Amino acid sequence: MRFHDVTVRYPGAERDAVISASLDVAGGQFVVIVGPSGCGKSTLLRTVNRLVEPHSGRIFVDGRDNATLDATELRRHIGYVIQAVGLFAHMTVAQNIAVVPVLLGWAKPRIEERVDELLTLVHLEPNRYRSRYPRELSGGEAQRVGVARALAARPALLLMDEPFGAVDAIVRASLQKQMKQIAQGVDTTILFVTHDVDEGLKLADRLVIMSEGRIVQDGTPLQILTNPANEFVAQLLDAKDVVRRLQLLHVLDAMRSGTPSPDGEAIDSHATLRESLNMFLRGAQALRVLKDGATVGTLHFEDVQRVIEGQAA
Amino acid sequence: MSTLNRKDAAILIGAALMLPQCGHRGNAIVVGSKNFTEEFIIAEIYAQALEHAGLRVVRKFDLGSTQIAMAALRRGDIDLYPEYTGTALIDVLHLPPMRDANALYQRVSREFERRYALRWLQPSPMNDSQGLATTQAIAKQYGLATLSKLSSLAPQLRLGAIPEFLSRADALPGLQKFYGGFRFKDVKTYDIGLKYRALLHGDADVVTAFTTDGALAANNLVVLKDDKHFWPEYHIAPVVRIDALKRAPEIAGILNRISPAIDDATARSMNYAVDVKKQDSADVAAAFLKGRTR
Amino acid sequence: MHHLREVGFYAGEHVVLVAVSLLIASAIALPLGVVTARNRRIGAPMLGLLGAIYTIPSLAVLALLVQYVGLGFWTAIVMLVIYAQFVLVRNIATGIRSVPAAQVEAAAGLGMTPLQRLIKVELRQAFPIMLGGVRIATVALIAIATLAAYVNAGGLGVMIFGGLEQDYVPKTIAGSVPAMLLALIADALFRLWERRATRSVYG
Repeated sequence: MRFHDVTVRYPGAERDAVISASLDVAGGQFVVIVGPSGCGKSTLLRTVNRLVEPHSGRIFVDGRDNATLDATELRRHIGYVIQAVGLFAHMTVAQNIAVVPVLLGWAKPRIEERVDELLTLVHLEPNRYRSRYPRELSGGEAQRVGVARALAARPALLLMDEPFGAVDAIVRASLQKQMKQIAQGVDTTILFVTHDVDEGLKLADRLVIMSEGRIVQDGTPLQILTNPANEFVAQLLDAKDVVRRLQLLHVLDAMRSGTPSPDGEAIDSHATLRESLNMFLRGAQALRVLKDGATVGTLHFEDVQRVIEGQAA
Repeated sequence: MSTLNRKDAAILIGAALMLPQCGHRGNAIVVGSKNFTEEFIIAEIYAQALEHAGLRVVRKFDLGSTQIAMAALRRGDIDLYPEYTGTALIDVLHLPPMRDANALYQRVSREFERRYALRWLQPSPMNDSQGLATTQAIAKQYGLATLSKLSSLAPQLRLGAIPEFLSRADALPGLQKFYGGFRFKDVKTYDIGLKYRALLHGDADVVTAFTTDGALAANNLVVLKDDKHFWPEYHIAPVVRIDALKRAPEIAGILNRISPAIDDATARSMNYAVDVKKQDSADVAAAFLKGRTR
Repeated sequence: MHHLREVGFYAGEHVVLVAVSLLIASAIALPLGVVTARNRRIGAPMLGLLGAIYTIPSLAVLALLVQYVGLGFWTAIVMLVIYAQFVLVRNIATGIRSVPAAQVEAAAGLGMTPLQRLIKVELRQAFPIMLGGVRIATVALIAIATLAAYVNAGGLGVMIFGGLEQDYVPKTIAGSVPAMLLALIADALFRLWERRATRSVYG
């Protein structure tokens, strides 16, 4: 989908909420929009499903200008998850998840099958959760149902507005991990809004930084971290924090060939360099790099340093 | 599903209730009455007199107030009802009281024809004026015989009044202006049927009365004299829609023949029969009419 | 005791008066309540107006109505419908406003039309509170319906006021007791229904 020069204006406000925002989003990408409170990120998100109408500019979904489409039909084909979840209190979990398929007129057996499929996807055992009511769910469980509900009709596009902001840190970390897994398993393009920079770095294929209504920078997390566009972005991401960067780099990128001693500590090739740093700081010398059980190389602390120096250049 | 059934049932019931009202009119004369004994009796007398003469009559009695009865009459829901000349002057036309009974009747007649297309037939001699009554005992104790005396003695006495009395221009507020005084020690309101009970039980010293109340005779009560003639005379007469008279001109003749026979004594004894002896107003009205055709 | 049949007849009239006016009043109050809930600028003065009407003495309202509607069943119904509005509209508005905004937003975002949102989410959850309003209105209407007698519309008021006027206490009691019983039964039944409705929404 694409934002083209979108401006959103609220009557009586001092400045426009969103100013000339343009962004091209490729299919299947996980795009995270970060910025401080009031930067316009939620507003921008909500122009996609027309909960907010832009003052000027256009939003293209699947190549079509969303202003020319029927808003209700549009929304039934775009997933929407909000922080407060908004599960319908008078409906069971299954009925909540089934809302959009019911609106679209799916057959009952197909709906039931899809509900169970989704509950499994979000790690909620169908037999236990299908008939529960929202009031019987914990915060984390409720939001997982919210995500399931948003994905029910297999939308090509999923909008998420600070979805994990209302749960505690432990639950949040778990939800983020699950979200990343889910995203990898489906083709859906995801637009995810958050003020939590770490969350963005963790989840994003593509990161978009907003400030005071404008898009300030957009690129991969690594790109932005190594080349912040201005002081604001650098401060926001704490770009000078090298350790942060390490969580975006993988052992595979830094290792050298050769066979280490067989009794050295092992690390998977897909692990981040930050994890390797943990091990080095705890006293490991050379790490054996494993891929699918086989040793494919070795990693020394100097390798990590070298990578960082290379980045800083 | 269940909502649909409830609604259907309601529509059916509503329609069923409407039907009797649809069929009622035709050539019937609708006789109304206000909601107290004397009105019931006199309206019943009118109704039965018309029926004896061969007219079809529908009764819509027990209307809640003068305003409701007048509204119904003006709208045509009723064709006639018994009204008092004094009430018409003061409460309907909002004109100041008149001392001359004849002039009052003429005035009321004229105005009703002019404003409402309603005709006053001949009035009856009975004068059901408002008044204030007390027991023989209290009258003797305070040397109370007139309203003038009462106006100054009021602070020592408790008044029992029907609610209308406290607000009508031709009642307490008017008395206070006309006679002065009339500031009672205590004022309580009672329903029409209960006020004499209050007087007799000693809960009130003076109660509002209508000078033809049956209970007055039954309990030997004293009606205080309106020595300065504050209250106009209240003669009852049929008030009829002119278009009803056009439809059935004989109404005037029939009722005018009856009215002269209703005098104070007759009124009191009929009221007594219904209020105290608990007879049915229809029976009392029938007895009156039978006695007439001698 | 042919009097029992008489009581039964008037009680029946009374029930019909209340039931019919309740249904009509609810149908009118629903859109009024939705508007009141959504729009504070209209809502506050509307409730103020309805509340003011509620305090006007019913006899005055009746006399006014008779001028335009005449005597009889429908005049009483109009009066009862008017008096019921205040309680009904207020409870409908309160009920709708009590639905958490997140659910309304989620409903919109998922693709419900405004009407679907209203019916499937807002009214569905507001139902217990709205039902409470109907209960209160019903009890009030059972009382006010006694005045139907004043406009030749029947009901238990005929016995109550008749008994008062004739100073015949047993008649008044014969009219009042069924009215009280009707009110108690209506109240109890509605409470039961409310409890079930609350449980289905709030658990």
